[in-house]
Amino acid sequence: MMIHQVQETLVMTRRLENVGQQSLKVLNSVNGDTVVAMDPIGVKPGDWIFTIANSAARTAAGDEKLLTDLTIAGIIDRSSCDFLSA
Amino acid sequence: MKIFKVIKTLVSTNRIATLEHKPLLVVTDKEGGTPQVAVDPVGCTPGDWVVCVGSSAARDASGVKGYPSDLTIVGIIDKWEPPA
Repeated sequence: MMIHQVQETLVMTRRLENVGQQSLKVLNSVNGDTVVAMDPIGVKPGDWIFTIANSAARTAAGDEKLLTDLTIAGIIDRSSCDFLSA
Repeated sequence: MKIFKVIKTLVSTNRIATLEHKPLLVVTDKEGGTPQVAVDPVGCTPGDWVVCVGSSAARDASGVKGYPSDLTIVGIIDKWEPPA
């Protein structure tokens, strides 16, 4: 599982049916990469979160049919964010 | 999932049978980045910013069971400004 910070919500009107209607978020990795993840929780820009990758991401999204390879699994509490750079 | 920009259509006449006749596109993650090939079940045009999936979702996204893809487009982003 990887740690990311939420950048913004992604608007994608034209999408495959099996992507579902779940929110998509643009995330910044600790190493500077930009990735997109499915968001079953409801996170806000600036939140530090951790994600589940690969086929486990589909289980994490709540439906094995959903087309995702990265799903947000949890928000890291402010109190335990001290090891992450602001 | 990752954000890519569509560069152009890839023409490949001689391909393995399981790839069928699905459109293949050349995509890149940033200006001057490494070009990659993605399967396009959506219908994109060059210049579109798209979201691609990998892993087992890439196989299922193509719409054919057991399709041999490791990068498939799942949607076109409405508006995207690449980070400078």
